[in-house]
Amino acid sequence: MDLSGLQVILWLVAGLVSFYFSIGNARIWTSISVGFFLILFGELLPKAMPFLPGTGIPQVEAMGLIISTIAILVMSHGFQEYYVFSRTLDLEGNKSQVYLVTLAVIFASQVFILINPAPDADTLRTIRIVGNTNWVFLSLINIDLIRKIYLNVKDSPIGKGFLAFIAVFVCIFLWKGSELYIQVYRLDLPAVMQAYPARYQISQITNLIGNLLASLSVGGTFLYLARLLR
Amino acid sequence: MVLLPKGNPVKENANPGKINLPGALEKLQAGKFSGYLRFDFPTATGVIIFEQGCLISSLLDDGRERLIAYDAIAAIFEQSLEGQGRLDVYRLSAELALSVHALLHGDLLYKGQELKLIDIKLLLTRLKDLAITGCLRIYTGDRVALIFYREGNPLGFFHDGSTAIETTADTSMSVARLPGAKIDVLTTKGVGEGMLADLLSSADLPALWRRILEARRPAPEPVASPAPSVEEPEAVDPAVREAESRDELLAAWREIAVRHLGKIGGSLVEKEFEKNLSGALDTAALNVFYERMGKAARLVAGHGKVSALLEEMGRSAQEKL
Repeated sequence: MDLSGLQVILWLVAGLVSFYFSIGNARIWTSISVGFFLILFGELLPKAMPFLPGTGIPQVEAMGLIISTIAILVMSHGFQEYYVFSRTLDLEGNKSQVYLVTLAVIFASQVFILINPAPDADTLRTIRIVGNTNWVFLSLINIDLIRKIYLNVKDSPIGKGFLAFIAVFVCIFLWKGSELYIQVYRLDLPAVMQAYPARYQISQITNLIGNLLASLSVGGTFLYLARLLR
Repeated sequence: MVLLPKGNPVKENANPGKINLPGALEKLQAGKFSGYLRFDFPTATGVIIFEQGCLISSLLDDGRERLIAYDAIAAIFEQSLEGQGRLDVYRLSAELALSVHALLHGDLLYKGQELKLIDIKLLLTRLKDLAITGCLRIYTGDRVALIFYREGNPLGFFHDGSTAIETTADTSMSVARLPGAKIDVLTTKGVGEGMLADLLSSADLPALWRRILEARRPAPEPVASPAPSVEEPEAVDPAVREAESRDELLAAWREIAVRHLGKIGGSLVEKEFEKNLSGALDTAALNVFYERMGKAARLVAGHGKVSALLEEMGRSAQEKL
C-alpha cells in the first residue's frame, strides 16, 4: 500500500502548524518551520508525485537530496536556538535572516550543481549517503538537545510537546539510519541481498516503519503542540 | 581601593539599591556561580567572592578600615540601600576565584612601585629566592593585570576579560608598558578548594537585609500636642519604599508567572524585570516589560495563557504601585 500521499499531508500539517507558531513570534520557530517545509520539497513531494516536472533529471534529483539535507540542518538550528533560549532566556535575532540565509544556501547549492557535470547514479548515491549521514547524526544530537530543553521547560504548557519531539526524532533515526545501513553495506545489491537476506529485510522493514512512524509522529506532535499552545 | 581585573562580565553598572541582594546571592548560589561581585560606593569598595556557588569571602574597604565576612556583607547591604552604589558581576574559574580571595586577604610586600624605576629582573629573582606565593599586581588608572606565583615560580596571568589563569602574557605586559604603570607585590597563604566555609549557609542574609531595611525607616517624631487634629503619615525614606515595592512586585509577578508558565516563567520575570525595570517604574517602562515578557512567554505557552498571565500581572502592578 502506498502511503506517500498520507505522509505528505502529515508533514504538511507539521510545516503549517510550526509556521503558524512562527507568526508574530520570535525567530526560533521560524527555523523549525522552514526545516519541516523543506523536507516536503526535498524528499516527500518528489516520491509522492513522480509526475512533477523535472523528475528524472539528475540535477533536479541531486537538488532534492541537498534540500533534504538543508532541512535537517535548519531544523537542528531551530532546536539549538530553542535550547539557548531555555538556558539564557534570550530571544534576540531576526526572522528574515533565517529565510535569507536558507535561500542563499539553496541558491549556492543550485549553482554548485549547475557548474559541475550532471551527477550519475554513483554521484547521486554518494549525495544520498551524505544526506542520510547528516540526518542520522543530527537526529541523535537533536534527541539529546530536546531532552535538555524538556528538562528546562518541563513544567511549562509546552513541556510535554518536547517529549513528543523526542519520539519524532527516534522515528527519523530509525528511518534514515536503516537506509544509511543499507547504503553503506550495499545490501540492496542482488549478490549481497542474497548473502544476507535477513539483514536486508529487517533494514527494509525498519526503513518503511520508521518512515511511516516519523510522518505520523510529526503530524501528531504538531497537532498536540497546537492544542497545548492554543 | 580594591584593584582587581575584570573577569567575564555577567552584569555591569547595576544599582545594587534596586536589587534584592539576598535573593540575588541565593540565585548565584543555586547557579553554582564562581566569580566576584564588586560594589563601588562613594567612599568604599566591597567585594563578594563565590566559588562554585559558595560565598567564600566578603570584604569592604573604605581606605581606613577593612571589614570582612558578615560585617562586610552587612555594610555592603547598608551602603547599597543608600542608592549611590554601582554593582559589577564578573565570572571567573573556581581556581581563579580562590586565588582572588587569597589575594584580597594577603599581605602587601611592596606597594605602588613605579615600574620604570625598579629593576624588574632583580625583583623576580628575589621572588624566586624567597619562594614567595602570591602575585604581582600591575596597574594603571583603569587597567589591572595580575601575575600569580607559587613558591617563587610563575603560575599564570589574569587580566581584564579572562576567566581563568592564563599562560600568555600579552595583555598583562601591555598594561606594564602603559605610561605610569605601577606594581604591587602581594603575598598570600594558599587556599585549597573546599577549605572555606560558605557564608551564605551559615547566616540568615534575608533577615539581615530586612533588619537593615527596618532600621532605615525613620522613627516616628515625638508628638508634642496630646491631641493632634490630623494624623500625620509616617515618614518613610522614598528609596526604602521604592526598594520594598519593587521587591513585593517582583515576588508577586514571579509567583503569577510560575503558576502560569512553570519554573521558566519565574526566571523570565526576573530577567525582564532586571533588564527593563531597573530604572523608574513608570508606565512606559512597564509597557516595554509587558511586551517583552509576552514575546518570551509565547515560546512556552499559547496566546490565551499569555494574555491571562499579562492581565493578572497588570492587576497585581496596579495594586502594588
